[in-house]
Amino acid sequence: MIVANNVSVSLGRKLILDGVDFEARPGTLCAIVGPNGSGKTTLMRALSGDVAYRGRITIAGRDIEALKPWEAAAMRAVLPQHAALAFPFTVHEVVKLGLTGGRSGVSAAEQRNLPDRALARVDLDGFAGRFYQELSGGEQQRVQLARVLCQIWEPVLEGAPRYLLLDEPVSSLDIKHQIIIMDIARAFAQQGGGVIAILHDLNLTAMYADNVIVMNGGVVAASGSPSEVLTDTLMKRVFECPLRVGALPAQGGPFVLPQSISGPPA
Amino acid sequence: MVSDTHSISGSVMRGRSHGDRSPIARLVILLLALGVVVTAALSLTAGAADASAYAVLRHWVFGGSAAGPLSLRDQVIIQDIRLPRILMGILVGSGLAISGAVLQGLFRNPLADPGLVGVSAGAGLGAVSIIVLGGTSLAPVVAVLGIYALPLFAFIGSLIVTLILYRVATRQGRTSIATMLLAGIALSALAMALTGVLVFVADDRQLRDLTFWQLGSLAGATWPKVAASSPIILLGIVAAPFMARGLNALALGEATAAHLGVPVQRLKHVTIVMVSAVVGACVAISGGIGFVGIVVPHLLRLFIGPDNRYLLPASALLGAIMLMAADAVSRTIVAPAELPIGIVTAAVGAPFFLWILLRRRGVIDL
Amino acid sequence: MLQRFSARGLRVLFLATSVAVGSAASATATETAVLPNSSRIVSIGGAITEIIFALGDGGKLVARDSTSIYPEAALELPDVGYMRQLSPEGVLSVNPTGILALQGSGPREAVDVLKKTDVPYVEIEEDWDRAGIVARILAVGMAIGAPDRAEMLASEVERKLSEVVRLTSAIQEKKRVLFVLSTQGGKIQAAGANTAANGIIELAGATNAIEGVDGYKQLADEAVIEANPDFILMMTRVGEHGASDDELFANPAIAATTAGAEKHLIKMDGAYLLGFGPRTVDAVKELSERLYGDRISD
Repeated sequence: MIVANNVSVSLGRKLILDGVDFEARPGTLCAIVGPNGSGKTTLMRALSGDVAYRGRITIAGRDIEALKPWEAAAMRAVLPQHAALAFPFTVHEVVKLGLTGGRSGVSAAEQRNLPDRALARVDLDGFAGRFYQELSGGEQQRVQLARVLCQIWEPVLEGAPRYLLLDEPVSSLDIKHQIIIMDIARAFAQQGGGVIAILHDLNLTAMYADNVIVMNGGVVAASGSPSEVLTDTLMKRVFECPLRVGALPAQGGPFVLPQSISGPPA
Repeated sequence: MVSDTHSISGSVMRGRSHGDRSPIARLVILLLALGVVVTAALSLTAGAADASAYAVLRHWVFGGSAAGPLSLRDQVIIQDIRLPRILMGILVGSGLAISGAVLQGLFRNPLADPGLVGVSAGAGLGAVSIIVLGGTSLAPVVAVLGIYALPLFAFIGSLIVTLILYRVATRQGRTSIATMLLAGIALSALAMALTGVLVFVADDRQLRDLTFWQLGSLAGATWPKVAASSPIILLGIVAAPFMARGLNALALGEATAAHLGVPVQRLKHVTIVMVSAVVGACVAISGGIGFVGIVVPHLLRLFIGPDNRYLLPASALLGAIMLMAADAVSRTIVAPAELPIGIVTAAVGAPFFLWILLRRRGVIDL
Repeated sequence: MLQRFSARGLRVLFLATSVAVGSAASATATETAVLPNSSRIVSIGGAITEIIFALGDGGKLVARDSTSIYPEAALELPDVGYMRQLSPEGVLSVNPTGILALQGSGPREAVDVLKKTDVPYVEIEEDWDRAGIVARILAVGMAIGAPDRAEMLASEVERKLSEVVRLTSAIQEKKRVLFVLSTQGGKIQAAGANTAANGIIELAGATNAIEGVDGYKQLADEAVIEANPDFILMMTRVGEHGASDDELFANPAIAATTAGAEKHLIKMDGAYLLGFGPRTVDAVKELSERLYGDRISD
């Protein structure tokens, strides 16, 4: 379990996160939603150990500040929102970087094929020999995900669940690849790992998340299951725009329909 | 996956399409290692004088009596002129090239070169301090450290510049290319200004040492110099491969490297100290030989890719070959006189640098 | 006959006659080496080359350094580079039987290596005064096995020098001379004490306008004005034209001096002026004549 307890982050004088409490259980996909500037990415960076914070964050009961980098790397993998790459690495080489310090959990013999398997999972078969810099933004994002998957390929290692921290994993993907990637995330959770993902698409959130955290102004505005959280009033208040939340007849899950702000809905 | 029993050429072919360039890289390293041996052997026989390296080798192996008479002149030429120079060429060439590659990995930028960003100038300032003040205010230091005073002070000079450079150019794990190059210019200018002050107070004899040394040359190669610098440079060359995986991860940025399990802060500290020590040692014995640190890694990246596990050893080998070759040119082209090697490397390196700039203009635009 | 001990004898004689000129003692401090075989000599230092040619032994030379540009025959010899930047292998590549080098040849490492071979390496001292010239001629002559001819040359040079020095030392109002090595970037690089330029200025009966500075140093503008030289002395450079003279006098510091106001500039060939070899007598004479006009030639 990843637990954040009363976590606050300041950048300069500005308070970005103000006393956030948060929990991500293994076996679940936890979505973080909220408007721009609400503190989603800062929360993710605090969970990844990238920014200094007050309060306490633990992973499997261990304070993340006390973890050695390689210990943390064996417990969680992080997909950043933007990943710059210096030097002309091939796609294969980038994915293989995922094996730098973590523990994939597969045998040494299998590990040699792991980059190819990871690329196949993100629908990039045959891209191994291409240069990373020559790919489109969406393709690059999937290469990065393949790299992240290599790091903790087995969702559970020696009985300990592991975590994927994904900052907007589908932001530049087409609909087909959004679904492929979200399916990977859900499968990871179903096999016993934990997933924390920042998402902008509320319908993908409704479809895939077991648990939703709504961030607003640096605090948690609400948390719970999608049907508990994705309500007309809360969404309107948080996103400050008209939204209509309906229920899908088949699964009974919510769906969100954006409305024009300037004109009244037809 | 295909097993390793395939022939080398087979695996090279396979490597291309699979994006795994390590088979090619291993082959290139093997060839470069052979190249070092061949170049060293050729350098031993090349020179202004017609000394027979073969006769000297025979003399070493079989002793004086069995091998027949050996002229002292030939023995001195091979043993005291060419051999220390070749060793120094190998040390300095591999040291500068590997430092360049490591520095580029650290700054995540192919333009970082010890000469361009002021590290060499800092080392020069340290070395000049010893040359000029070694007899007066720094005399106690020289008395204690002996032949190691020069490389040690060069190391301190380059360390200070590298630390300042890193502090100025890197903010929150992101290195600004423009800031790095501009800070490098400023730090070079500062180091040279301070060097200028020392040059001003230097006496005539020291001045001669200085001008000779500032041009960059292996001509001053002697066994004591090889002995003084080789532990530092060899230590750096041996240490570098241990940084390779971390430097690879650093290509994705500091934060991602940390997520991948790399102890980033420690890696940065170790690389900065290593680069400073190696550049310091190189500059202390050979002066300002430029462009090796930028040309060699860049050339290799074109063939074997940027993976530091292969790039670092390959850079050391190619650096050694290039400097030995450049030195052979400098020794023979205007024989019986000699062209400073810094001129040879700059004549080849500067146009190459411009070519990189042209190719990568989009990346460098500020 | 005289030959065996003559060098020493002449030196003693010389010592006795040159007290007025000063530091002759240092020139005689080292023993002169004799090359066992002087058939193939490398000469490092313009003065040495000039002396060897003046002794009529130019044929023994197999290489020279880049400062050896007189006489013209020297230019046909292979050049082993600048005397302070020697390549030891280059020097050895001409298969010399002996190396004659001015003190201060380098780099140190190269000289150390050369001394390790069985090729004799003779260092010739460099003193920029009257005694130095004579001592050097004798030392070179001894080394190449021509002590008698060296003695003749030395005594001739010494005789001429005494003659000139007798005249120049009689001068009461000594002119102040500033030797300018270069004016690069408007900065005046001038000669202080312990330089060849200082030596020649004093021999010519003038005083160095710069005091309290050792070696060749860059001068502040105010130091140039303070020195207030009557004459500027410079070396002629190859391919030079009149423009650089104007440039010199356009320098505000130079313009503020007597030399600047009266456009007093003397230019002489560098090797001739600063070589301190057999030709130095003529250089001294020429310089003093150009400084003092007919007052010097009695």
